Amino acid sequence: MNIIDSLRNNVEKHPSKIGFIDEENNITFQEMLNCVEKFSSSELFKNKNQTVGLILENSIQDIIAYLGIINSGKIVHIIPPNITKKNFINQINSSNPYIIICSEKNQINFSNFDKDLAIYTNEEIISKSTIQEKIPNINKIAYLIYTSGTTSEPKGVPISHEMIEFTTKNIVKVLGYSKNDVDLTPLPLYHSFGLGCLHTSIYVGSTFVLLKNSNNLEDVLNSLKKYNATTLAVVPPTLTKFLKFENQYLHEKFSNIRLIITNSTSIPKKTVNDFKQIMKNRKLATYYGLTEASRSTFMIFNENSKLDESVGKAAPGVKIKIKKFDKKLKVGEIVIQGKNVIKNYWKNSIADKNLESGWLQTNDIGYLDNDENLFLVGRNDDVINIGGEKIIPNEIEEMIKQIPEIEDVVAFGINNEIFGKTIKINVIKKKNSNLDKTKILSYCLKNLEKFKIPSKIEFVEKIPKNEYGKVKRSMLK
Amino acid sequence: MQDKKIKIDVKNIFFEVFPKLSENEFEWEKEQKDYENWDSFAQLNIITFAESKFDISFSLDESIEIKSANDLLNCINSHLK
Repeated sequence: MNIIDSLRNNVEKHPSKIGFIDEENNITFQEMLNCVEKFSSSELFKNKNQTVGLILENSIQDIIAYLGIINSGKIVHIIPPNITKKNFINQINSSNPYIIICSEKNQINFSNFDKDLAIYTNEEIISKSTIQEKIPNINKIAYLIYTSGTTSEPKGVPISHEMIEFTTKNIVKVLGYSKNDVDLTPLPLYHSFGLGCLHTSIYVGSTFVLLKNSNNLEDVLNSLKKYNATTLAVVPPTLTKFLKFENQYLHEKFSNIRLIITNSTSIPKKTVNDFKQIMKNRKLATYYGLTEASRSTFMIFNENSKLDESVGKAAPGVKIKIKKFDKKLKVGEIVIQGKNVIKNYWKNSIADKNLESGWLQTNDIGYLDNDENLFLVGRNDDVINIGGEKIIPNEIEEMIKQIPEIEDVVAFGINNEIFGKTIKINVIKKKNSNLDKTKILSYCLKNLEKFKIPSKIEFVEKIPKNEYGKVKRSMLK
Repeated sequence: MQDKKIKIDVKNIFFEVFPKLSENEFEWEKEQKDYENWDSFAQLNIITFAESKFDISFSLDESIEIKSANDLLNCINSHLK
């Protein structure tokens, strides 16, 4: 069953139910299906080429476009609106779409990127709608999304309907989504977290409420009550930022929420603990996954605080192993197998080497405890090799964070003429702290092996992080 | 007075990097080869500690030439003068 079949199911069961809400409109399942069918009947889809680019923003109109392209039998190449020109050109060269669809305001911006591209607005697509003689076959691939690789080669990840169905069923099974839910999603749809939430809502026939901006915290919190939301999907930094509000205020705002789902960027212990109290007897959950292997684990936080830093156990039907690079260590590269894992990358034989007999080498480092709970430690790329000793920055960062005067710290490798690499740490001190470098070094010497002692310490004002709270290690120096 | 303070700081660096080193065992002329744990990583730790403590930066040659507490003291003094 594909996502269009799920939409049709909802139309059969409750056609006049409001299925989709954004900040300006709301539409029923019947209206959504009508719009999707009209969109996909556009004569612009009568073309042998299979890929259509979509600059995907958070709006009902763009959900129609996404589903409409799928319903036309094409593959959607999902393009973030904030993409750089260089990345855009790289992706387009790889996916080779014959048209790009976007909102009116994006049409001008993207036309400047490439004058030869055929860029249409949603309205222009609909204006060319025709009477469909026959419903086209749905492509096996639903969408194509690009991940940031370490090389300049773009890594296209083709997501099949089979993968979406498998993953969505797991989400529903583990987190208990139902048609009675109202799912508030202030996440970008161009990311697989947000898109997975959309698929889940359509699969169960719940109401999907889409916000444009998760940074407007008060708006998100007010929307919980405004739409009578029962679930909320947010990234961990948003949860942490919520804690600046009064406890009582948060208890009141979250009183109707049965589930908060977040994703696998590490969540500060305090955030987990505080939200466990706010969500008492309800679910606070996270998952671990990659675009290439969506929702590979699930973690529902409970009273067992020893597991607060775990991302949980493998999802049903998914296998996880640790490929150790040193038998002495319990940590190693996480590898995943299951129907949620891509079969290959998009026309990229180099990236395909990450897939061995159905096992995806994630490049993430972690370990499994005796009960098969997965703990994330870092990225394989982040490992610092000092004179043959492999060091995971996370271990150093966690140790140094124990110093009370430290607000945040990041460890990374720098070139060294003798060792090849040594460790540098960039440290943000707490306000009014008189912490000096020697105090940090003394602490390190007492608590870390000598090859893990930083050779350089710099006090900084800011550590570069992305919108999901992950450190942008390529920007460190 | 200043020289005395620097000497105390240098001694303390050695006690930090070699926690098993006692006051009695410390000698200014005692060489790298006579320390049980003075390997290349310990060398790096001594250099890092001294650079942080005195806000100076050693060249590669200087880093390699430090083979005793006295060498470190002289090297630091050459930067501070």
